[in-house]
Amino acid sequence: MQCQEFEQVFEQQEAAPLPADAAAHLGACGQCRAMVSDLEAIQAAARGMAAAQVEPPERLWVSLRAQLASEGIIREPAEAVHTAGWLSGWLAGVPRPALAGAYLAFVLAAAGLIAVQSNLRRVEMSRSTPAPTATAALDSQLTTVERRTISAMRQNNPVVNDSLRKNLDIVDNFIAMCEKDVREEPQNDVAREYLYGAYQQKAELLAMMVERGASGD
Amino acid sequence: MITRCPLESRLRSTTLAVAAALLLPLAIPAAAHRIEKHYPVAGRPVVTVHNAHGRIEVRSWKKPEVVVVGSHASNKVEVDTEQAGNRIEVTTHVLAENVTPAELQADYSLTVPEESELQVRTDSGSVLVERVYGDMTFDTVAADLQFQDVYGYLVIKTIGGSVLCTRCAGRIDVNSISGNVQLLQPQMDNVRVQTSSGNILFDGDFLRRGIYILKNYSGLIEVRFSDTDSFDLSATTGQQGKVENEAKLKPDPHGQRHLPSRFAKGLFGTVNEGHAKVELASFSGTIKIRRRD
Repeated sequence: MQCQEFEQVFEQQEAAPLPADAAAHLGACGQCRAMVSDLEAIQAAARGMAAAQVEPPERLWVSLRAQLASEGIIREPAEAVHTAGWLSGWLAGVPRPALAGAYLAFVLAAAGLIAVQSNLRRVEMSRSTPAPTATAALDSQLTTVERRTISAMRQNNPVVNDSLRKNLDIVDNFIAMCEKDVREEPQNDVAREYLYGAYQQKAELLAMMVERGASGD
Repeated sequence: MITRCPLESRLRSTTLAVAAALLLPLAIPAAAHRIEKHYPVAGRPVVTVHNAHGRIEVRSWKKPEVVVVGSHASNKVEVDTEQAGNRIEVTTHVLAENVTPAELQADYSLTVPEESELQVRTDSGSVLVERVYGDMTFDTVAADLQFQDVYGYLVIKTIGGSVLCTRCAGRIDVNSISGNVQLLQPQMDNVRVQTSSGNILFDGDFLRRGIYILKNYSGLIEVRFSDTDSFDLSATTGQQGKVENEAKLKPDPHGQRHLPSRFAKGLFGTVNEGHAKVELASFSGTIKIRRRD
């Protein structure tokens, strides 16, 4: 079985067990295992966020949905889906597992925003909030996506490759700088705001890397 | 009467033919493939360009026609153009893998009606747009963008390319990571620029009712104002940032209270009547508010 064929079978199977030949291919193909692992991470993130019952800001929902729709990652807008079901609605519409990296990046950015916002709320209520641990988990997940995105890059143009990598380093440096400030001073709302912006920027950059790497033009 | 030997005549014509054959490649060194297309349009056309690497120049004229001139040297890319009513699309297709930047290069020169809308996506190279008055979007990784005398709503997303806008009017929204952004002599009433490590320069008038939001993480944000400008100013940085101000600020007459975070350095106030709104923010960079000479 070839990777493309596996992706089709995998998409159709949904929650059902994989047929024997697909399972055999998955056992032998590292690329497909990475793709399946990405999707499992998305599902785990979705379950965690749905369980947390946190309402994402409307503007985030609108911009993410528009971005995903414009890139063809979701087929149709899930207009009636909101709150706990909004991620499940997206997951149902993911047509191309190859774009899971970009999708995951957006999910993680959303998770980052929610984590930061809920932390901010806590800071407002109590000035003795400990340093957040949620962003550490988020950072590690983003790093995983970043590693896979870079290894999957198929860009012809070295100028573009260099620029994408250089700018990823810049964003990573800002994230590290802001995280350090937040760790040292958990009430530092300025650093938190910039940290959220840097996470969002990283997610967008990873999405662009996937898109540019995949299209090659 | 002069008579010419047939042998001498044949030698001369042979020499000329050889010389022409030798010189021809020098005359068209970079444009082994050239296309020129003319598309008649009505009203406001939407022109889309997708390119990987190269120079794109767009200029306007008063004719209801879009002219696309494209050239590329290698056989590893090909140019595709199409018209569907008022929509013109120009696309460079990359035909092979392992292509060098030189082989990837395709250059375009477009002439469009003044009110045209532009949508340009290019990875690297450069873009120049002059005297086009429709809305425009640009999506690029490393290409440098230059605009002169454009009017409309400009939406620019660039990872590392620079933006230079001279005498631009209307609205602009720039999002970048390391690109520098310069707005010179702008006549814009809505400006939003965000770059992470790039510098931002705004050298022009703050229009009444205008909103100007300039933000970065590090690097320099500089605005130059004149004594007749009228604006409310908010300039904030994180603890490592710095603000240098030459404006004579008075308390906000509109009654707005500013409650800066204790983790920020802030400067708030009003110049003249405070008609425009100017928000400058940097995490660890320097903000300079300078009086224009």
